[in-house]
Amino acid sequence: MPQSKANVDRLKRRLLHDLVQQNVELIQGRMRRPSRPRRVPYLRLAGALVLVALSTALIGSTRLLSTLAAAPPPLRALGALQAGQALAPNLPNPSMAANLPPAGEGGSFSLPARSSSLAAATIDPAVLPLAVRKIALDAGHGGDSLGTRTPLGVLEKDITLDIARRLRLLLEAGHGFEVVMTRQEDHAVSLAERAAIANRSGADVFVSVHVNWIENRTARGVETYFLGPTNDPFLNRLAALENRDSGYSMADMRQLLDGIYAGVRQDKSRQLAEVVQGALFRSLGRVNPGIEDRGVKSAPFIVLLSTQMPAILAEVACASNAEEARLLAKPLYRQYIAEALAGGLRAYASEARGAAAAHGG
Amino acid sequence: MTRKETNGMTESKPVLHVGIDLGTSRSSISASNGQRHVVESYVGWPLDMVARKVLKKPVLIGKEALDNRSMLDLHRPLEEGLIKDGSEKDEAAVRELLWHLLSLVGVARETRNGMKVRAVVGVPAEALRVNKQNVRKAMQDAVDNLMIVSEPFAVAYGLEALLHTMIIDLGAGTTDFCVMNGRLPADEEQRTLTQAGDWIDEQLSRLTRERFPDARFSIHMVRAWKEESSFVGATRNPVVVTVPVNGKPTSIDITQEMRQACEGLLPPIVESMLDLLSRVQPDYQEKVRNNIVVSGGTGLIRGLGPRLEQELAAVGGGKVKVVKDPVFVGSDGGLSIALDAPDADWEKLTS
Repeated sequence: MPQSKANVDRLKRRLLHDLVQQNVELIQGRMRRPSRPRRVPYLRLAGALVLVALSTALIGSTRLLSTLAAAPPPLRALGALQAGQALAPNLPNPSMAANLPPAGEGGSFSLPARSSSLAAATIDPAVLPLAVRKIALDAGHGGDSLGTRTPLGVLEKDITLDIARRLRLLLEAGHGFEVVMTRQEDHAVSLAERAAIANRSGADVFVSVHVNWIENRTARGVETYFLGPTNDPFLNRLAALENRDSGYSMADMRQLLDGIYAGVRQDKSRQLAEVVQGALFRSLGRVNPGIEDRGVKSAPFIVLLSTQMPAILAEVACASNAEEARLLAKPLYRQYIAEALAGGLRAYASEARGAAAAHGG
Repeated sequence: MTRKETNGMTESKPVLHVGIDLGTSRSSISASNGQRHVVESYVGWPLDMVARKVLKKPVLIGKEALDNRSMLDLHRPLEEGLIKDGSEKDEAAVRELLWHLLSLVGVARETRNGMKVRAVVGVPAEALRVNKQNVRKAMQDAVDNLMIVSEPFAVAYGLEALLHTMIIDLGAGTTDFCVMNGRLPADEEQRTLTQAGDWIDEQLSRLTRERFPDARFSIHMVRAWKEESSFVGATRNPVVVTVPVNGKPTSIDITQEMRQACEGLLPPIVESMLDLLSRVQPDYQEKVRNNIVVSGGTGLIRGLGPRLEQELAAVGGGKVKVVKDPVFVGSDGGLSIALDAPDADWEKLTS
């Protein structure tokens, strides 16, 4: 509808005023920020050192440094038994957690120290700023493993594959990453094989895409996991379900536990989980206003345990919620999920580059 | 070019206002001295001493760079319309591109010809703060004052489509959506998809390679085919291109592949369009449906406007206008903003 010249001019004046204000804020924002990447604050560094020491002591690995240098780390039986013995009695408790740095400040889940002398021999993950070039994408379930099912009958295995394919296109074309898929079609792949594919490819990060199912049908939203123990019975049940038919024996498991090189990979995994979770929540919130930020959590998913790079498992929606089930049936919503994941991965890669620049210069 | 008065005194420096659309594929500039130019967003440095001697230039920009790509370290520095993060070479390439654009409208690199340059630069709708800062950094020495705006907003401003309008700006790197309601669009009124012209190129390349595995072609050739012959729906003109097959120039018919690649872009665009429409206040939905503007180079896909109107029929019908001159619509919009902003405001925006 044509508007009068006076009206258009008035509108333009108002828009220009707002636009200038927006730009002034942008400039002020720049001035508030230091031009060089932020150095790791003392407390964070100390927290990270203590955490790495604690984790190392618990796992009983005596070869943290050599493991860090080697890729992929060789699995050794020596120490694995200790790891198996030590892990079970040392699940976190609230009192210990209270003494550690909060999430985002170098802390993840809490583990007790066996020896404080190891602190001097540990490495702050921040001094290992590794570039992200290759990403392993894992579409959850497949073949006979259907995963969950929306009330409309859409299967998790199909949703995760569709999202992973979209994500691959975005990462390869838009962001220049190399992408490895653990499955490209609808067929079963064991958890061991999924991890092996990622490990063989030399991927820098591993992202497993899943869809949640929660008994409380009103619950909805996104949550992202990295490897760690949990006291939450629901998460233990969820992990047990996802870990079914993993293809690993108990002996393999001990070796795998030894292969977690203490806090470093875990710290990177937690950072990755935080960035991806934030991107999922913010981006999807625009098209799914009722979405809940269900947070970053640690849980013992085998697929995260057996991968040798920072690894996360993203529950990108709740199939048990009617509204999210409806959205999941829409290709556009799956596209938004893929774009949100791509945005998170890109942000994580940028952070890694920023850290590299800070430590390199 | 204008001389501006400040505090009652005439400034000695003449002021040149420019609008710049930094695109993944092409970048354009519109200046207040009446000049308008567009260049391919490619920057290349000679690979070695021989290349430097042959090319006789330290850096090549645009089509010249593309034509001599075999001798160049070639960069397309804008990824999805934004400066790629972390690569010094790409940052340098953006600076070269900006200086080149400014030189085309008469701004000399060293002295700026004694002019004060005020620039409005368009970036994708959902550009993050850090990306905007990257643009600021790249422009730092090139202009005196700088304003950054979202690309679809610049288009809307230039077309004076400021009320009850939806802009769909189809570029190479991104497809930007923006609903104009007489104020700066809020986050929920803007959307950016990374499926755009480049995405079509990739699909077309893949489909053609699948059907003609022995054919040899580059992504640059595919881009040229798309720009010449892209379409959705029916066509009477087959798309036939010539490519080397086993070393021999051979004509191949890629009509079906072209249709499939272009139509692949429709579902996300249609869904985003309908989704954004559904979020408009009910009183104004019909007005917005009848004021949809498609801009950007990829918006020139034949049959796109009518096809979007077909999709709008399901929600009560609507009208889609495709901008005929998409190359300069963003930079012209930026120039309009630059000229309309008062001096006092510009002074707050020192680059």
